[in-house]
Amino acid sequence: MASFGRFLARRTAQGLFVIFGVVTVVFALRYVTPGSPVDFIAPLDASQATRRRIADARGLDDPLWLQYVTYIGDLLQGEMGYSYRSRTAVAPRVFAKLPATLELAVAATVVAVALSIPLGVVSATRRHALPDKAATLFSLLGISTPNFWLGVMLVIIFAVQFDVFPTSARPVGFLETLGNLLVVAADGPMISTSWPLVHLDRLVLAAPLDAAGFLADGRTWVAHLFLPAVTLGTYFTALITRLTRSGMLEQLGSGYIRAARAKGLPEALVRYRHALRNTLIPVITVVGLQLGTLIGGAVITEAVFSWPGLGTLVIDAINNREWPLIQGCLVVIGTGFVVVNIAVDALYARLNPQVME
Amino acid sequence: MSRLDPRRWPSALADRLSPRTVRNLRSEFRSSGLAKLGVALVTAAVLMAVFAPIIAPWNPTAQDRDSAQEPPLGFGYTETQVKPGEDGGVVNETVRVNASVAHPLGTDGLGRDMASRVVYGARTSLIVGISGTLLAMLVGVPVGLISGYYKGRLDDALMRTADVSLAFPSLVLAIALVGLFGQAAVSVPDPLVVTGVAAAIRGAVSLPGGLTYPTGMPETFTLPGTVILVVGIVNWVWFARVARGEALGVSEEAYVTASRALGGSDRHVIARHVLPNSTTPILVLATIQVAAIILLESALSFLAFSGATLSWGFDIAQGRQYQTTAWWIAAMPGLAIVLTVIGVNLVGDWLRDALDPDIEGEGGGV
Repeated sequence: MASFGRFLARRTAQGLFVIFGVVTVVFALRYVTPGSPVDFIAPLDASQATRRRIADARGLDDPLWLQYVTYIGDLLQGEMGYSYRSRTAVAPRVFAKLPATLELAVAATVVAVALSIPLGVVSATRRHALPDKAATLFSLLGISTPNFWLGVMLVIIFAVQFDVFPTSARPVGFLETLGNLLVVAADGPMISTSWPLVHLDRLVLAAPLDAAGFLADGRTWVAHLFLPAVTLGTYFTALITRLTRSGMLEQLGSGYIRAARAKGLPEALVRYRHALRNTLIPVITVVGLQLGTLIGGAVITEAVFSWPGLGTLVIDAINNREWPLIQGCLVVIGTGFVVVNIAVDALYARLNPQVME
Repeated sequence: MSRLDPRRWPSALADRLSPRTVRNLRSEFRSSGLAKLGVALVTAAVLMAVFAPIIAPWNPTAQDRDSAQEPPLGFGYTETQVKPGEDGGVVNETVRVNASVAHPLGTDGLGRDMASRVVYGARTSLIVGISGTLLAMLVGVPVGLISGYYKGRLDDALMRTADVSLAFPSLVLAIALVGLFGQAAVSVPDPLVVTGVAAAIRGAVSLPGGLTYPTGMPETFTLPGTVILVVGIVNWVWFARVARGEALGVSEEAYVTASRALGGSDRHVIARHVLPNSTTPILVLATIQVAAIILLESALSFLAFSGATLSWGFDIAQGRQYQTTAWWIAAMPGLAIVLTVIGVNLVGDWLRDALDPDIEGEGGGV
């Protein structure tokens, strides 16, 4: 177990290095792109003196290394600067968008895992039969379909023609839905900057409990989440189905499976206890590698469904050249990717201790 | 001239196309219906892209308000329209909206012919898909080979750089780069049009049933320059990883040790032994990447970040504005993307099965 701790420590160190790289790239990006931030802050008719004052106040004329050190120092304190246009702090705006994006990503992952693993197993165990052919065709279509187009077509079919689901937006989130049952006690916020960071004890049952409100909000939440989750999840369902199928076929043809069958183990035990388990290990790595695709996919899915998450925020920020906001979004996305990847690697190491050597 | 010189890559590739490889490709092609389908779809897309000014029934940018939002063949419909009556009230009138043979895939909101736009859209997709992949390969493969061959500190540094690059989702990075550097779109004269070949062929064709085959096609074609650069930069990592993995394996082989013992320089060993032995997985990855980059380009165009206005992704975005009245505007270009990407993926499967490299299906999608 000591080796698992060492492995985790090494991966975390590597992760910190990557995050440092991400921050550096994000900082550098502003200096290699054309246009000075002063142009976006100052009014069009601003005098030279005004422009100079703006540059001075924000340290835009400082030497590059000083700006870099200041930037990293600010980031370490959770400070991401202020928006050029609205003059509001960037960090709270970025973090306020996180729940929407996380809901979408988690829902898509749940859809993908719940559908793809059974599909892949059926496909592999009944090779060349009708279910296998259907699953193979589905996975080929799934990895070849642009998800934004799938989203647009789902809206046309299920929202416009049949009116089963709403076309877009997110009127209520998961946390608001839950807020009908649980509330944060009055004696302080649930998340604070000092230790302990999260105060679960401040979460109390709402009085009176609003069960009807919870059900109504829950229904609205699920109805709005459904099409975006399917849109984002389809590519992953297809990908994991493919991987599970080929992995299962490889495992089922190997020696230890023949041995298990020869000694008379029930077929179900052979398939699910032995073959499936060993199949899922490499599947986890590939899924981890594809997390970037999941986040990228979430960005465009949000654009299709006007889903108010990080994706919509980053696209707006880029269109408006709001540098502090662009940098904030990119740092959060990059850091999130690294953190989840470490978690995936840790899971992988627990399942397959060989990689720790 | 070194064999690492890109100008020598084709001959390095030819070395790998041994008679046995060709035999494998051929027998796999014969036995697999999917491989045939893939080659057929890719060929169709390539023909559309190359001969667009000859194949497209209409000028893809010509507007005709009188025939806006015409449905595709077989999808004519009747709808009830509310019109002012003679006595000041309203009357419900049933109107038949007909499809016409002139616009087999219907028309868009400005009356432009969808079939012609789909044909021309193939150009943007394939040009970006292929040149973006070549660029990614040109950057990624040398980095990967050097990294895997020399190992040690250099390898660590290059691979950590690759990790940083991977931490940004390719779509997000591409949006940021294109959005910030601007959309340098280059207008290229269309050789088939400026030489008059397209007009001559179109003029010689006579269609039955009073159908016209107009000769005035666009003289220039817009290349989304920044997008090609950006998708290349964004996707180099995948090539670097695969090339590195191959180089790591090959550099342990006895023949590499032998070559080095005989006084072969590092450049010689990399060019003569490591690169040729890595071409198969790189080739298969390149196919997967063409598919991934076609999807990436369509996403950028959909979000209006590419500057291309004759692109499948761009037309899907246009179609969204008509989602309640004219579904085909979004549907047709999307089907074109799906069929093309399926074709490329099937060709990739064919190469992988025939050449059997040890490679995972990575590279991302949109």
